[in-house]
Amino acid sequence: MGLSNFYLPEAITQTAKDIDGLFGMIFWISLVAFILVEALLVIFLIRYKRKHPDKQGLAIHGNTKAEVIWTMIPALILVGIGIYSSGMVYTIQEPPTDVYEIKVTGMKWAWEFEYPNGAKTYGELRIPENENVLFKIYSKDVIHSFWIPEFRVKQDAVPGRETRFWVKAETFNNAENKYEKRIICAEYCGNQHSNMLADLQIMPADEFTAWVDKELTRPKTDAQYVIQSNGCTSCHTIDGGKSAGPTWKGLFGKKQIVNGQEVTVDEKYLEEAIMTPDAKTPEGFNSGMMPAFQLEPDAMKNVVEYIKSLK
Amino acid sequence: MAATGDVKRKSFFRDWILTVDHKKIGIMYALTSIIFFFFGGLAAILIRTQLAMPDTQVLEPQQFNQAFTVHGTIMIFLWIIPMLTGAFGNYLVPIMIGAHDMAFPRMNALSYWLFLLGGLVLFASFFVGAVPDVGWTAYPPYSIESQGAGLDFWVTAVHILGLSSILAAINFIVTTWNMRTEGMTFNRMPLFVWANLVTSFIQLFGTPALAGAVTTLLLDRHFGTVFYNVAEGGDPMMYQHLFWFYSHPAVYVMIIPAMGIVSEILPVFARKPIFGYKAIAYSSIMIGFLGFMVWAHHMFVAGMQMSEGIPFMITSMIIAVPTSIKIFNWLATLWGGQIKFTTPMLFVSLGFLGLFTIGGLGGIMLGAVPVDLHLHDTYFVIAHFHYVILGGSMTAILAGMFYWFPKVTGRMYNEKFGQVGFWLYFIATNLTFFPMHFIGMAGMPRRVFFYQPELTTLNQLATLGSYLMGVAALLLFINLAYSLFKGEKASQNPFGAQTLEWTHASSPPTEFNFEAMPVVTADPYQFGEQKDGKSLDDDGVTA
Repeated sequence: MGLSNFYLPEAITQTAKDIDGLFGMIFWISLVAFILVEALLVIFLIRYKRKHPDKQGLAIHGNTKAEVIWTMIPALILVGIGIYSSGMVYTIQEPPTDVYEIKVTGMKWAWEFEYPNGAKTYGELRIPENENVLFKIYSKDVIHSFWIPEFRVKQDAVPGRETRFWVKAETFNNAENKYEKRIICAEYCGNQHSNMLADLQIMPADEFTAWVDKELTRPKTDAQYVIQSNGCTSCHTIDGGKSAGPTWKGLFGKKQIVNGQEVTVDEKYLEEAIMTPDAKTPEGFNSGMMPAFQLEPDAMKNVVEYIKSLK
Repeated sequence: MAATGDVKRKSFFRDWILTVDHKKIGIMYALTSIIFFFFGGLAAILIRTQLAMPDTQVLEPQQFNQAFTVHGTIMIFLWIIPMLTGAFGNYLVPIMIGAHDMAFPRMNALSYWLFLLGGLVLFASFFVGAVPDVGWTAYPPYSIESQGAGLDFWVTAVHILGLSSILAAINFIVTTWNMRTEGMTFNRMPLFVWANLVTSFIQLFGTPALAGAVTTLLLDRHFGTVFYNVAEGGDPMMYQHLFWFYSHPAVYVMIIPAMGIVSEILPVFARKPIFGYKAIAYSSIMIGFLGFMVWAHHMFVAGMQMSEGIPFMITSMIIAVPTSIKIFNWLATLWGGQIKFTTPMLFVSLGFLGLFTIGGLGGIMLGAVPVDLHLHDTYFVIAHFHYVILGGSMTAILAGMFYWFPKVTGRMYNEKFGQVGFWLYFIATNLTFFPMHFIGMAGMPRRVFFYQPELTTLNQLATLGSYLMGVAALLLFINLAYSLFKGEKASQNPFGAQTLEWTHASSPPTEFNFEAMPVVTADPYQFGEQKDGKSLDDDGVTA
């Protein structure tokens, strides 16, 4: 109804288009009500401005017929909107039977996506084009909310519960078929809530299958993989920028103040900081912010080497 | 503040600290909540300053989280609610029903001191460096895990404030029920008293749910209970149900008395009887009832099955009906009137009616489950509730402050600066909050300290608006503060109103409000003249 391009992001599923339709419908009804009320208000205020200090208005205490009319009309319109919306809720809620399931897990402060073959990605979600995809949403710690504005749908990730929604995505209106940082956490989840973003990419089905198979074989001890999968970069930048945790750029060999004492960051310190982060929190940062990570020896070695390389 | 009548002045301590006079308690509520409001506003300006640029670092993330937590908590628990029920309710209800004081004057004083204590406990968190950062809703498990004593201060403050509300509500209900003067039947009560009565019932029934919610948070944190601990069989969604079972009705605690203020002021300056007295009075009751049946519309995406939202969507839609009844009745009150544009009249007509309508219509979009799937927890929600709470409740508070200022202080406010203040406030409100509808639609969630660069212009408009709002608020309060000392002396009834505080009490009223107990014979809005000597009304009420 003409609203789709007006500050609403691109709608890339039929559901999103339907929701926009309902949004448009309520918008136009509201606009009429808005104009009616504001126009009457302004007209009355101008028309009935007091001209003489002693003049009185008309002694009208009420009019039952008028009151019944202006009660019934909004009531009927609102009930109508309610009934129409209810029908839509069932359509959005019921997934088709042939769905591709992706497990979405929110954690402070990253998104993990697990595909049916066991492959996992972090900070990046890829889905096949024109196929029904069902997201099963979980949380590892606090409540997050999995939101992709282009789908017009969000669902909270609640610890101890599975929430879900399904989509059938068409292609994006851009060359790479990819939207950066459009997977958003919409429920406040602490310090780095604003940073809990991920990319979305829609691929032709065959390309997607090839990608997800290859992704499965990616080495699990690879530094990049370990860093992504543990959400390290939500709090640690690699370019010297400020964030919740110390930046990794130039960190190795740097002297930090820990409990009033100077400590040089070496391999041993880094390993300790990853496995028991609260033991030696550097000055300027809060303890209790970072969870403890148990890494495989190879993974640990690769990560430490990676941090060393960031001069 | 002006002396209250002809009783000999003893000392500041006896006069104010030990007072049980409902008028003085009302004034103390007002002054205290205005001071709190100043800090809440400062937090808002900090938030908007951080958001003036997409990626600035005026605040650390942690400080930003503290700023919005403190802003929300102060504005709701320490400004709007205590101002409407504590200040306006305490000052006006006994005089409006023709009583000497509240039913339980000492309990009334206790309510005030608990309110002050609750506020101070929240502020104490600043001094120990543990400001709460959990958002004003404090959802677990995040709130349970959050570091430091911030949440403990927050819970303690909410508890004390809740106790204060419950005591005040009991007091208002008993006062309104038992202490009306001769002839003051329920159907002759001023509409503000009706509003306050309904509000008191909401507080009485709703607050215990909030107390339960925050108590269990505290128990989980410190005493090893597992209400919200999933690993041990708890469920974090239970908190949301309890929290919103109070906090949605609390929205009506913030709006029904505001509607009462509007209903008092409109007829006086339109020189007309209020249109449909009973419809306005009884629709408040309907809102009060329905207010308890809509809470889960805050939880459409919280993990319930989507279709479980449908009943709550329907009740949320239905609650718009009594609200629209009021809007149309107020419009009809203006029709055929003789409207005088004083500062309070501008605030209730263009201000309240104009702004609240926008907030209400935005609410219909959020009430529809499918649309809420997109808009929930975005800036659209922020736009909606600020139009309702700032555009509605706070606008009515300002209207009421100017309207009753001569009664309370015995002096007139400055009309010219009052009107300048109104226009500045009106423009600032729209500039701050209207763009937020689009910011939210485009995909900016709440409670984030940076955003996509495309939204810079809209965010900057909002920030500019918030600065303008600060100037407007200063102008309005300076007007009142200056007029307190230098304003013209006010007569008993400068606006020609017909409620008892104007017709039977001096400005300011004496210690026991009235020289002799007033006797009431009709509803308090008998304005206007008949057209051609004939009555146009069909309710059988004659002037």
